[in-house]
Amino acid sequence: MTELLSEAPRVPRLQRWIATATSARSARLGLRTRVLLMFSFGALLLAVFLAAAAYSFTRSSLLTQRDRTATLEVANHAVTVAANLNGAPGDATTALIALENQNVSETVVWYRGRFENRGGFSSEDIPPALRERVINDGVRARMITTVDGAPAIVVGYPVSNGALFEAVDISEVEDTLASVGLSLFFGALITSMFGVVLGWFAASRAVRPLADAAQAAQLIAGGRLDTRLEPSDDPDLRTLAMSFNDMASALQARVERDARFASDVSHELRSPLMTLAASVEVMQARRTEMPERAQTALDLLASDVARFQGLVEDLLEISRFDAGAIRLNREDLLVAEFVRAAVSVSSMPATPVTVSDRGERMVMIGDRRRLARVVANLIDNARLHGGGDAHVYVGEADNEGEPVGHVWIAVEDHGPGVPPEERDLVFERFARGAVAGRRSTSDGAGLGLSLVDEHIRMHGGRVWVEERRDAEPGARFVLELPAEEVGI
Amino acid sequence: MGTRILAVEDDERIRSAVKLALEDEGWTVDEAGSGEEAIESFARTTPDVVLIDIMLPGIDGFELCRTLRRTSDVPIVMVTARNDTHDVVAGLEAGADDYLTKPFAPKELSARIRALLRRIRPIATGHAKLVFGNLEIVPDEGKVLRDGQELHLTKTEFRLLCELAQNPGRVFSRESLLDKVWGYDYFGDGRLVDVHVRRLRTKVEADPANPRHVVTVRGLGYRLQS
Repeated sequence: MTELLSEAPRVPRLQRWIATATSARSARLGLRTRVLLMFSFGALLLAVFLAAAAYSFTRSSLLTQRDRTATLEVANHAVTVAANLNGAPGDATTALIALENQNVSETVVWYRGRFENRGGFSSEDIPPALRERVINDGVRARMITTVDGAPAIVVGYPVSNGALFEAVDISEVEDTLASVGLSLFFGALITSMFGVVLGWFAASRAVRPLADAAQAAQLIAGGRLDTRLEPSDDPDLRTLAMSFNDMASALQARVERDARFASDVSHELRSPLMTLAASVEVMQARRTEMPERAQTALDLLASDVARFQGLVEDLLEISRFDAGAIRLNREDLLVAEFVRAAVSVSSMPATPVTVSDRGERMVMIGDRRRLARVVANLIDNARLHGGGDAHVYVGEADNEGEPVGHVWIAVEDHGPGVPPEERDLVFERFARGAVAGRRSTSDGAGLGLSLVDEHIRMHGGRVWVEERRDAEPGARFVLELPAEEVGI
Repeated sequence: MGTRILAVEDDERIRSAVKLALEDEGWTVDEAGSGEEAIESFARTTPDVVLIDIMLPGIDGFELCRTLRRTSDVPIVMVTARNDTHDVVAGLEAGADDYLTKPFAPKELSARIRALLRRIRPIATGHAKLVFGNLEIVPDEGKVLRDGQELHLTKTEFRLLCELAQNPGRVFSRESLLDKVWGYDYFGDGRLVDVHVRRLRTKVEADPANPRHVVTVRGLGYRLQS
């Protein structure tokens, strides 16, 4: 038991570590980049390796060939030199002349501790290591070096009492090797580029199903719950597509069930509400015949039935929003005319409406009955939480530097205002806490402001709350809606 | 004789409460719990206004509406569950004159019924006869003739035609028609006008798809011409 307990926390930690490591790596490089880099790097590596191998093979085979002929020639010359040295007294001149007669230049002969040379090749050009090996050790040797600024093989051949050194020009071989190297370099470059292109294609191909999935996920998030991925022939991708589609179906079913539940509940509530409302009305028609206590009870009943009714209507509207079932009945509306009409049917029909000059000429496109609910909700809010004293302003939006494309419909009240930290919260459904105590619930308006928000967003506008413009205590709710100024 | 109202609603409680509320207005209310009952009751009592809930067991509200319309031009108020689905338009297409969305206040219902009853009375146009090409309107008799042939218009369709005929050639906005025909304020449902114009066209126009008399003026409203 103890062991189990001590063992248990280690697994998650390890998993967490793996997860962090994986996510850290993937955060650094995207899949596409990784595939691209892998291909590019692989192609580069392959190209460099092949080029290097080809170069060194060519070089060694060319040099070997040249070396062999040089060694052979020098062996022949060595015979000549040996013959001439043996018969000559003090120096190697005879031997060099004999070589010259054979059309051999670029030679150095070491004889009795002295170097003699012909042509541009001198004893200075012989690398000391080679000199030592041939003269001291008395063995045949050769070395690649530079003579007169040109690459050459210097072959050293020991002969009796001396040595023959001969430079064989290999600049031709080096030239050939240079052009081979250049073409190999370009070949490698092209191969690498091909690898990059291939990698790019492979990466795009590898990522395409992911991009499709991402797009589908985005559509689903945007409310298009019926979005599905095309089933693929690729077995790996088929799993992805199938799991994705299963998830989408489950999500859709879930969302629909939730939306249907809210909608069903509200629907079920409507019938008893109808009965309640009608019965209360019948009783209200006989209010005067009732005893005083019954009248008070009836008033309470009537006002709460009305509140209940409002709440159910709001719930239904919200569930329609959630189900994406709201269709706006859009039409051109003269903003000023609309606002005056909306205020006149609200709970405070006498609320003053002030319209700016440009506001009088502004037209917006919207669903007049839904927007009227929005205005009515804001006025309800002012009535319940804003000291019951509201003022409505209509005017062009004064977003600096922008052409007039929006109208502002502002409702100002004389309540305590909304503290800055609660200004986003008031638009949430059944806002709780300090906000709820003051801003909602008391008149079934817990959904009122969130409906305002939903409606306005659906109309392509936004709503916020701020301080009154005249710095007096109170809140100012502003609706910003797309509108145009027209000439009337 | 007082006004008779037939209330068709399958929920017994709602029916009873609505009956109580409407009786307070001084109207006589007959009840029907299903479409079949309603058809039977309609034939027996000949009500002045029919109130139909769309959700009915058996024959649904739309079907009942169409059945009644075949023989009668009685004003019909539909009760729908929600106002943003096709229910409203379908109900109006089936022949309803007006609609209400549940839950409604009985006061609202009686206001609608009063507006419908007003439509039954002929309006004073000051003309004995109005002629628009092959169309002939006799306001006092509530008659419309096309090529001398009498047309069967509902009260609302007739009222709509008369309003348009009062000022031939003038364009009437949806709002003004909603106000004049239905008695709605600024927030009436424009679909009422649109569907009624469509229904009117199927009756007065030789080719409803290409109307000659009741013409749409895009973005503004409707107009009647010869």
